[in-house]
Amino acid sequence: MARILVVEDDKDLNKAYCIILRHEGHEVAEAFDGQEALDKLKSFKPDLILLDLLMPVMGGLEFLQTWYMPKKHASVKVLIFTNMENSPEVAEAYKLGAQRCIIKSWTAPHNLAKVVSDTLKPSPAKKPALAPAKSKARKTS
Amino acid sequence: MTEADKQPLKPKLTSRGQQAEAEALFSSIGEGAISTDKFGKITRVNRAGAEMLGFSENELVGSWFPKKIVAIGLDDQPINLIDQPITKAFLTGRPISEKAYYRRKSGDKIAVAITASPILLRGKPLGAIEVFRDITVEQEVDRMKSEFISLASHQLRTPLSAIKTYTHMMHDGYMGKLNASQKKALNTIIAASARMNELISTLLNITRMESGSIAVTPKVLHLDKLAEEVVKELALIASAKSIALSTATKGKGSTSLKSDALIVKEIMTNLTSNAIKYTPDSGSVELIVRPRQTEIAVEVRDSGWGIPKYSQNQVFSKFFRAQNIVKRETTGTGLGLYLVKGLVDTLGGRIRFSSEEGKGTTFIFSLPRAKRFKLQ
Repeated sequence: MARILVVEDDKDLNKAYCIILRHEGHEVAEAFDGQEALDKLKSFKPDLILLDLLMPVMGGLEFLQTWYMPKKHASVKVLIFTNMENSPEVAEAYKLGAQRCIIKSWTAPHNLAKVVSDTLKPSPAKKPALAPAKSKARKTS
Repeated sequence: MTEADKQPLKPKLTSRGQQAEAEALFSSIGEGAISTDKFGKITRVNRAGAEMLGFSENELVGSWFPKKIVAIGLDDQPINLIDQPITKAFLTGRPISEKAYYRRKSGDKIAVAITASPILLRGKPLGAIEVFRDITVEQEVDRMKSEFISLASHQLRTPLSAIKTYTHMMHDGYMGKLNASQKKALNTIIAASARMNELISTLLNITRMESGSIAVTPKVLHLDKLAEEVVKELALIASAKSIALSTATKGKGSTSLKSDALIVKEIMTNLTSNAIKYTPDSGSVELIVRPRQTEIAVEVRDSGWGIPKYSQNQVFSKFFRAQNIVKRETTGTGLGLYLVKGLVDTLGGRIRFSSEEGKGTTFIFSLPRAKRFKLQ
């Protein structure tokens, strides 16, 4: 199972995502804005970040620019969870390296669990040289 | 050659009084006004026009129009002389109304609404005149309106997301076992919140469309890539009905053109989610991208219930719902295809469909490869 950081400012939703992901057996940490996520990342090394875009203090895009864009953490998958459907912010998040974007209000818990597990699967297009074997690496199909 | 043709091609004002009246009229127009002769040389400019462009009247009069006044399109590229409203009005002999940007003397640009008309004497063009208005403030209001709608959409959906997520969690047993009637009640809440969600989404998009606050940002985009994204995002909904959802490119040629990626994606998403919704379980929905010489067509083909012949002429009307669908599905708003048609029109494209009841429907929209986008 994977280590997942949930970054969501809505306390109810944050709690719900943590419950769902823990129920699936993942190790989960939570943050309520981008800045808090940066602090959390000093001690928690995730395989995947579930990231909201519109948050106080530091939004999702700023977080990606600060932490993810430099590609220091290219092995960490980023899953955008937002209600800003078809917005320029979503397009920008893809540019900044997010793997996938999901609309919160359309997604049921079992779908969240499925999307997380799909996103965590290693990309079949990647050559082995570019994706060195990790201790947690799964079998490629 | 007729007698009329022998007359000098110069507007003749019968008296000094009339000339003074014309000049007073020209200079008193509150909007910018510029006239040119048939060679494009500026013959007259009023104070409002000169001020808007940041020139003095003397700097403009006598100059070649395109040398002083640079018109810029939404893509930030200068508009060719032949495509400028004043040239088109002169060449076609008809009034032309368009929106564009004008570059001021200082280098910054202003958004303007332009109306250009030819100056005709006995049917022959002597030059052209254009009147233009600074619409920077209107544009800013539109931008704020659009920002508000986007924020409102987010704020309306946040509590809805919590309702939906927790209801699903209870239903799926995260909070303990439920009996049959409790599950039934939760199903009702889930269905109602899904309808509410769909309504918010559609109404906000229609508000944007009808208020003209849809901003078109043309950029080079690849329709095949967009179709793949849409298929990826709707895969969950399709799999819930065991519908085979796929995309393919058929035909040779580039699948890229200049348009607004978000609007094109909205069109594709709407047509595809509609196709999934109105296709029975275990059916198929396919997005086919067909590159052509002057346009690219996208087909959304389903094996669904189809649209009855007698109501096919109302498909793009507001609140239209086909009778055969109303009997099966009561949750649609009848706004989806109305929205899609408006969005396709916004991008200068075309949309049509063919449908046979019981066999399926194919919607085809096509977007031009070369489209000059006007300011909205």
